Amino acid sequence: MAATAAWLSPPSRTELIENLVSGVDRYNPSNVGILEDYLYHQIRSEEYDCLANLAILKLYQFNPDLFNPDVVINILLKALTAEPFPDFNLCISLLDDRPPNSALDEPDPLPTLLPLLMNLYNLLHQCRFSAFWVLYRSDELEVIRENYTVECAGFEDAIREVAARSVRATFTRINSERLGTYVDLSGPELEAWVAKQRWTFDSSTGVVSIPPNPDNQIESIVIQEHIKLPQLSKVISHTVQVK
Amino acid sequence: MAHQRVALWAAEPDLDDDINDTDVDIPIPMPSSTNEMYDDPKLQLDEGSLQAMQQHIAQQAAFAQIPDVVKRFIVHFHQAVLDNNLQEVTLAYESGWTRLTEKYYAKTEWPEAETIAPLVNDDQIFLILYRELYYRHVYSRLQPNVDDRFHSYENSCELFNYLLNSDGPVPLSLPANWLWDIIDEFIYQFQSFALFRSRPASKTDDELTMLGSEGGAQAWSSYSVLNVLYSLIQKSRANEWLKARAEGKSDEEIEEIVGEYGTKPLYRMLGYFSIIGLLRVHVLLGDFTLALKVMENVGLGQKAPFTAPTAVHVSTAYHAGVCYFMLRRIPDAARVFTGVLTWVMRARQYHTRSYQYDQINKTADRMYALLALCHVLAPTRLDDNVMNIVRERYGDQIGRMGRGEEGLSTFEELFLYACPKFICANSPPYDDPTALASMLIPPTPTSPSSQNPSVVLGDPTQRHLRAASSHFMSLTPVSSLKSLLKLYTSLDAKKLTGFLDTSGAGVDEEEVLSWMMVMKNAGRCVGRVNTGSTAANGEKDNDEGSRPSESLLSGEWMSISDLNFVIDQNMVHIAESTVGRRYAGWFIRNSEHAARVLDSVKASPLPPRIIPTQVQKKSADGPKGEGAPRTTGQKVAWGGVKVA
Repeated sequence: MAATAAWLSPPSRTELIENLVSGVDRYNPSNVGILEDYLYHQIRSEEYDCLANLAILKLYQFNPDLFNPDVVINILLKALTAEPFPDFNLCISLLDDRPPNSALDEPDPLPTLLPLLMNLYNLLHQCRFSAFWVLYRSDELEVIRENYTVECAGFEDAIREVAARSVRATFTRINSERLGTYVDLSGPELEAWVAKQRWTFDSSTGVVSIPPNPDNQIESIVIQEHIKLPQLSKVISHTVQVK
Repeated sequence: MAHQRVALWAAEPDLDDDINDTDVDIPIPMPSSTNEMYDDPKLQLDEGSLQAMQQHIAQQAAFAQIPDVVKRFIVHFHQAVLDNNLQEVTLAYESGWTRLTEKYYAKTEWPEAETIAPLVNDDQIFLILYRELYYRHVYSRLQPNVDDRFHSYENSCELFNYLLNSDGPVPLSLPANWLWDIIDEFIYQFQSFALFRSRPASKTDDELTMLGSEGGAQAWSSYSVLNVLYSLIQKSRANEWLKARAEGKSDEEIEEIVGEYGTKPLYRMLGYFSIIGLLRVHVLLGDFTLALKVMENVGLGQKAPFTAPTAVHVSTAYHAGVCYFMLRRIPDAARVFTGVLTWVMRARQYHTRSYQYDQINKTADRMYALLALCHVLAPTRLDDNVMNIVRERYGDQIGRMGRGEEGLSTFEELFLYACPKFICANSPPYDDPTALASMLIPPTPTSPSSQNPSVVLGDPTQRHLRAASSHFMSLTPVSSLKSLLKLYTSLDAKKLTGFLDTSGAGVDEEEVLSWMMVMKNAGRCVGRVNTGSTAANGEKDNDEGSRPSESLLSGEWMSISDLNFVIDQNMVHIAESTVGRRYAGWFIRNSEHAARVLDSVKASPLPPRIIPTQVQKKSADGPKGEGAPRTTGQKVAWGGVKVA
């Protein structure tokens, strides 16, 4: 049931990848192709494997001539969808400085796109979802949209899932317009999405109700102490000694 | 022993002959024609032989300068190593070396290995070990120059080569302290070199050429460092050994599993320390998940499989805590830090003034600072002793950080103080002068914002700092929200916005709701479920606190905030959880104290008997007084004075 079990070893990971990630082979530069293929597999089939992607970044760290900025941008986009796990930050940590790589055919897009991605990340992290969608749809990010996210299957749905997680934890009932701005949907699309989330949509009042879950049921708890027998053992044994 | 020393001393005049014969390091053709030189009437001294002669003389002079005490010590040390006399070696290593360093070599280097070679009969192995100590001294007390760095790398390579690639396990027996210091120092020198080479701006030409050469690229490369560590682990099969121990296998089975290398304590300890070393290297390179992953079999409990030096625990805990901190698992980080800090405080008096003592203190200081940061990001109840110290040292900073955005600089300051010195895995392109030059030129101001130094000579520490600060910044509204929400059980969102809009900056409702969601997110994080009991120490425990089979990365979502709320359309409902009165600890402590007092009173001799005449009289009256009806209105107290 561990929350991190899926994050640590997703069921979609094959044994080959598992060996690569957990063993010493991950340092072998010739394996980078396998991991990159796995990444594209993840992109196309809406899966996500954080540790394997981090392995790619580590190989890039040690072998700067293998560096492929497209791969990096894809990894970062995937990491965006993993909020609230700290994956995006972990990826950034592994992005070392590189000397300008003259071996690339096209100019390196990473330096221009990186700040944009970081802005997106900050907005998500601060739960400013409507601002996120505004920025995402803007002209600045057209590059990202045209080249990257269009290939990444289910990217927008995954972001909506991030928003849903936050909303689910915080609200019991929420105004549908507000929800619409959070997930960038409206009208019938919104209703369909809400239904998929298994929330109830009350069309008369325009309010969406969220079923109870551990996070949005609150109650005042008074934390009592547990006094365990061993803690009292000294006191009790002393009474026995005293005649 | 003394006999031998005297013999060596007495033989001193003969030693000069030895020097002539045993020059190992001079590549110049050895003038065995030394005698011939004198014979040759034409005296054709070529450059090479002249240099050789000069070096001889210099060496002899240097040798003569070494104090006798030092010479005796070296001989004694060498003998102990040869005999595999662990106790003597430990003594010499821990106290002898440090004492002599303080006395004679506080500001200079120890004599070069070549100079003392004759004292130890050119035992190469001992010389390698000696050089290890020599360079360690250079790195810690003095400033190593480029040559030193390259030579120390070569020496380390030789040492590990010897340990790993000889036919079969090496018949050395060294104390655990030294082995840990070897690994620790190796990584430290790597870190130091990485920091050194990442700053091309201030290098002299010599240094640049050296770094750009073929040898320069190879020295201290990340791959070779990792290679050494992984090889040590694999050779000694340390992981399998830890797993087998955890599963409770018998000694014979364990021996079988670990093979001939793993059974020797030298290799076993080296393997174990290498795992910790890997943890550290991965943290330095910024890969926090991998760092925790390699520690799978070790776990973070206080139980080391053997009495490891304190420094090991401290280092492990510090780096693991940093990993958890960067993974935003604040409660885990705080728990790791408090655990080791309480242990250090208690065990402080047992530390020897070893090489590692200062290190331990410095690391402990950094951990206190990190604890302060943890407290700001996720305030939870922690062990009081440690928290008191933290508050004492960092009380102001915690206060400032709690006040929102203005606390950012304090946060960054503390983080920069406390974090490890992260390094870059690659070096700037020393072999390509044009590329190097373009790196040194500051970027043209076409980059979007100053937040983009990641392409040019960015400091890896800055990257990590930014990650941590962004998390801090997103949590800044939480504290003011918390203080407001504590006052209510239910509150309308508009009203809340009104309260928060004190500065008239136009905080709108949407923003407030975002903050609420952030706060909710901050109230939950992944933490390691404490499967074991947190009962009093010294109990029979089944090592539950950190089962090795569970990865350090696993955990559950847990709530860490005591203030819980939920939003119903526009209405915020709040519930606070409080901690009930904890009386058990106080009660138990005081009962035990009373018991002790009672025991001591009982055990002490009775006071001498005083003839209690006066008292007896009163006590005779007493019962009567009690029995008499109180109609007289006189107050009679037991043994008291009768009120007339």
